[in-house]
Amino acid sequence: MNELKKNKNKSFFSSPVKLSSNHLLAIEGMEKSEIQKLIERADYFANLDRHTNTKVIQGYVVLNVFFENSTRTRVSFELAARRLGAEVINISLVNSSIKKGESLLDTASTLNAMKPDLLIVRHPHSGAPLLFADYLNCSIINAGDGRHEHPTQALLDALTIKRRVGYLDGLKISICGDIANSRVARSNIHLLTTMGAEVRCVAPSTLMPSNLENLGVKCFSNMKMGIRDADVVMLLRLQNERMTGTENPSEREYFKFFGLDEAKLALANPNAVIMHPGPMNRGVEIASVLADDTNRSLIKTQVEMGVAVRMSIIEALNHTKNNMMKN
Amino acid sequence: MTFTVLKSVKVLNPKTSFNDISDVIICNDKIFSICKDFKTEVSHQDRQINIYDCNGLTMSPGLIDMRVNIGKTENLTAIQKIAAENGITSMVILPNQTPKLNNPSIIDHIKRQSENPNLTKVNIYGAATKDNYGLEMSEIGLMSEMGAIGFTNGNKSIKNSLVMRRLMSYAAMINRPIIQHAEDEDLSGLNKASTTLINGEMNEGEISTRLGLIGIPSCAEVIIVERDIRLAKLTGASYHVAHISTRDSINVIREAKKTGLKVTCDTAPPYFALNETSLLSYNTAFKLSPPLRKEDDRLAVIEGIQDGTIDAIASDHRARSKDTKAQPFSAASVGASGIETLFLMTLELVHKKIIDLNKAISLLTINPANVLKMKKPSIEKDGLADFIIFDENCPDVINQNNLKTSPTPFDRRKIKGKILGTFINGHVAHINQILKDKIIK
Repeated sequence: MNELKKNKNKSFFSSPVKLSSNHLLAIEGMEKSEIQKLIERADYFANLDRHTNTKVIQGYVVLNVFFENSTRTRVSFELAARRLGAEVINISLVNSSIKKGESLLDTASTLNAMKPDLLIVRHPHSGAPLLFADYLNCSIINAGDGRHEHPTQALLDALTIKRRVGYLDGLKISICGDIANSRVARSNIHLLTTMGAEVRCVAPSTLMPSNLENLGVKCFSNMKMGIRDADVVMLLRLQNERMTGTENPSEREYFKFFGLDEAKLALANPNAVIMHPGPMNRGVEIASVLADDTNRSLIKTQVEMGVAVRMSIIEALNHTKNNMMKN
Repeated sequence: MTFTVLKSVKVLNPKTSFNDISDVIICNDKIFSICKDFKTEVSHQDRQINIYDCNGLTMSPGLIDMRVNIGKTENLTAIQKIAAENGITSMVILPNQTPKLNNPSIIDHIKRQSENPNLTKVNIYGAATKDNYGLEMSEIGLMSEMGAIGFTNGNKSIKNSLVMRRLMSYAAMINRPIIQHAEDEDLSGLNKASTTLINGEMNEGEISTRLGLIGIPSCAEVIIVERDIRLAKLTGASYHVAHISTRDSINVIREAKKTGLKVTCDTAPPYFALNETSLLSYNTAFKLSPPLRKEDDRLAVIEGIQDGTIDAIASDHRARSKDTKAQPFSAASVGASGIETLFLMTLELVHKKIIDLNKAISLLTINPANVLKMKKPSIEKDGLADFIIFDENCPDVINQNNLKTSPTPFDRRKIKGKILGTFINGHVAHINQILKDKIIK
């Protein structure tokens, strides 16, 4: 009873989060309390009626700079920024300036010269947003860099789980699929282990990065063992080019051993939920019927939470910067 | 006739194991005398004499850097000059530059072009194969006649076992070593013709996993070393592994040496001074080939240096422009500068009490000469006056801003030691103000 009362009175539930950095580059190294506050603030945004006025950072300029194709992440960031009242400009650099031979830093400093408040960067090379942060003076959000991290995805996954299950601490979470090439997996591993969850990674040994257990997870190449009693089964996308070749013999073989079907899911906790960062390959990572099972699958909720989480992050970066300027 | 006298200098000459404080007199391009008191040999009356008071300073033969990459935008003469400033009196350049050093006329051309009595001497490795695929043997006999002192495919491994066998066999016939960059290109993902979608960026392990960079397993090195040792046994060739970096390869070479095979190897300062944790900030100055390895491998390199398994230390100089390094790690160029830090980093091994100064100098002088069948540099009467003078204890900090080549993986590293003078063919190729001030009028 007391606990409930205390929670209700927590004022930071509805106030912006102050971060220790004016960038969000990676989950690795983030404090538990920071993660917690961002999730709680996002939860607050998620509970708001969509027509509530949240335009608190009008005049704030956000550049969505994507060096890789993306639909959901880009739109999610754009919506989040717009709901906060920011001005958003989308820039797709998948081929353009790279083809023209301009170096990444030149591109970055050109954009920086236009004095944005925030650059949201997705780049195919691990570490690229860190390079931006080293050279530019606006805030940077890493919207996915190579195989390194995708911090906002991990935060939205955590929020999704928290809203469904209620907590993260002690939860058994199995991340299954192409771990080696997945930035989503890395960010989730760092976040979930920091929050006290028991994380297992399931992948064919050809797609399991070396020494992964040093990141505090258990590794399985047998999916049935890896998802036994799991509370959450998180699936990863298998890139088309990896479905056949020297990493996997074929799509159907992958599905047989690493695709989530009802028989494998039966080994997990009876209430286990299914997650996928999307876009998914039906019949490769997941049986279609499970993907569409609204009782088990949180895939659509993940997308919905993406906007709320990104609102909390953008707001936090603005708040952090304002605080830094005051001091 | 002008005499140069180095008064009370500590002479360190590994070839003759001479290690004593003496006066050294230089005349023309030769060492005229090494004695206790120069006045007994020459006098002011009949000759012009420049006397340097070298009390507290050390003199050793000039350094041989057995692995220097001349980059596309680098100028050989400029590199010769920088090398001289850093104590290197003789260097060996790799053939994988543009154009490729794969025929006798180009070897001859570079030899002539680089000839300058005041600059670091240039020796050349000829390309072992003519083509980029490593399938056709170059005219290694003719290149050898033009002065190529060994054969290698530079930063690419000689991959095909049959080609390697024949190369070794042929090179043994003309008594030249084959120098290998040992790396299984398929495993490391550097085989561009391969259909596998990898492109190794750093050592494989926990750090590559954390950073999301593609790992090169350390066994990619020893796989080639083991194969090559079997071929060296088959052919009787002199086989040299360049920039060795893993414990496994060092162990294999140690065993091969015990069986009497003509197998040698060198390493470079990054592999005994750094490990893969340097990459945690994605700093592209540490993007090297072979990649920086685990701490255990670094320790193995040090053990290899101590017990003589590793014959020599080379700079593995591969300077890169700031533009190609100011990139995301995956897109950045591979390599770092080395000629400006070779001596200082080797001296660090002495200050850390890993080896003694005599050993350090050997690793940079007579040992590489031995591997490459060159004349052993020596400070002796009537010998060629190629030598350096240095202060082994002068404290300093390596600073990229003060260097002429980039990037250095040792930026902001505190070191001790300074090259004060480099003499090539008796000429002053480089002299520091500190030494200039020591002229006795």
